[in-house]
Amino acid sequence: MEAARQIGVELTVASEQRSTLEAENPAGLLTLDFKNPERAADHVHAFARTYPIHGVVGVDDDTAIVAAWIAERLKLKGNSTHAAEAARDKHRQRLALADAGVPIPRFELHLVAEDPTAIAASTRYPCVLKPLRLSASRGVVRADNAQSFMKGHDRLKAILAEPDAAACGEPALHFLVEDFIPGYEVALEGLVVNRRLHVLALFDKPDPLDGPFFEETIYVTPSTVPTGLQTAIAQCAERAVRALEITEGPIHAELRYNERGPFLIELAARPIGGRCSAVLRFGDKGISLEEIIVRHALGMPIPSLQRERVAAGVMMIPIPGAGTLREVRGVAEAKQVPLVEDVQITAHPGERLIPFPEGSRYPGFIFARGETPATVETALRDAHSRLTFVIA
Amino acid sequence: MPPPDNTAEIRITAEPIDNQRCKFVLSVPVLSGGVRRFAGADEAKGSPLAAAIFAIPGLAVSELIVSGNIVTVVKKSPAPWQAVGQAVGIAIRSALTADVPAVTPARKPAAGEGSAVDDDALYEQVAKVFDEQVNPMVARHGGHVELIDVQDAVVMLRMGGGCQGCGMADVTLRQGIEGMLAQLVPAVRGIVDITDHTSGANPYFQASKK
Repeated sequence: MEAARQIGVELTVASEQRSTLEAENPAGLLTLDFKNPERAADHVHAFARTYPIHGVVGVDDDTAIVAAWIAERLKLKGNSTHAAEAARDKHRQRLALADAGVPIPRFELHLVAEDPTAIAASTRYPCVLKPLRLSASRGVVRADNAQSFMKGHDRLKAILAEPDAAACGEPALHFLVEDFIPGYEVALEGLVVNRRLHVLALFDKPDPLDGPFFEETIYVTPSTVPTGLQTAIAQCAERAVRALEITEGPIHAELRYNERGPFLIELAARPIGGRCSAVLRFGDKGISLEEIIVRHALGMPIPSLQRERVAAGVMMIPIPGAGTLREVRGVAEAKQVPLVEDVQITAHPGERLIPFPEGSRYPGFIFARGETPATVETALRDAHSRLTFVIA
Repeated sequence: MPPPDNTAEIRITAEPIDNQRCKFVLSVPVLSGGVRRFAGADEAKGSPLAAAIFAIPGLAVSELIVSGNIVTVVKKSPAPWQAVGQAVGIAIRSALTADVPAVTPARKPAAGEGSAVDDDALYEQVAKVFDEQVNPMVARHGGHVELIDVQDAVVMLRMGGGCQGCGMADVTLRQGIEGMLAQLVPAVRGIVDITDHTSGANPYFQASKK
């Protein structure tokens, strides 16, 4: 919303649940059924007869699909529904990437209802069990042998039976088993303009993501990966963009690399999560990622796609344990750490904290900016060490 | 109000509203029992905290609202709050160490001392909109919106219940309340949310995951 305000764009904010004030601002607030994107697009088509719509932007995995349906229906700039849905569903995504020869982990699709002992007996280890639709690494579990496979399967099955996961429908009845790719992980933030991928930032993830669960922690940019390898990573992402037929808009990709080169782990047709995007600034005026995305959707000039010169990083604060959050101590001390620009605690007192793989909601975020990625990383860790989460 | 004894004990949490506005929530009250709005450095005389913030080089502060333990800063500088928040924190701490009250309460206009905007009249109109329209609607999500004050036609409000800490609070404010006031009380020039959203214990919608 802030990005739109900055450039004088009038917004209609669509949400799945009705805003209490929708009747008072029918042009600015709209309720859509995100679970039925086609119906949502019809709804917006009718809405646009009264309140014209000139661009559409999704903000997360689900709304990226809704945005594609709306764009297609209203003939606005955006991805095809086919591309958006292929990017959203991990199995469809892997099929498309494999067909195009994009390096990805070897994968198999299974029914949750299948006998897990049979799968465990025939699977190559180490492997990763992965739901098709959940986000933020929820439900993703590594297994090193049949015993840990069975334990991981039990947990994933329970997660997929939870009401919000089961609401995904058919995808919640399946899961993927794929090879665990050893190596280092990076995240690539990009903007696709007329089928061409522009890399906006490449983030290192200095904490090893080797499982058994895959909770994110630190993202730091610019990447310290050698330039040639960065080029190979960008080319891998670009091949994935083409394979998925993504033509316009933001993408967020997770890749791993080792001595065999880069592997595409995930690609989403949406930007990095809303809080984390605060770490990115572009051009002389330090414009936000959101402003770039809004400008692109509306066909407005984009002043710059060049990220600022300094290093920047964000820590998604690890979930400190299971329980009810009572208090967070040390926030002021954490903010005093040199290079730390902000510490945002997003979990509220009384909130139930659920560790991975069942949970996926980080309790807060730390932001830092400095001359080098190493100093930024050190500042993030230092600030985190000052925080104490009181959990009952 | 006397300054606190030990500023090392003062905790300040920055809570950006957008790139122009940021709330700084203090662990100690700065101005009890009222609200004080400063529309420029010339109004900050006698209030060291406001003077110190207006004096921060390059920040181009255009407005400052102090209420209870919350200091809301509005700036013109495009610099992100992550980059300039620390300077505001330092200014606040330095003002709180002074031997004089950090903020003096708002002066009531003397009889016959005219104002371009009748804030009292606006207050009544906005309060009516809040009582009769906004609050009955946000109550459906367990929320409420409290009108704190109107100064120079700027509305200061605080959200509570399901609105406090809600992931959609800014949508309610900007796409809902702001539009309603623009239509029903067009003399209102702006809205400042002085809610401490980090303390919201029962938000209707969760904040984003990432």
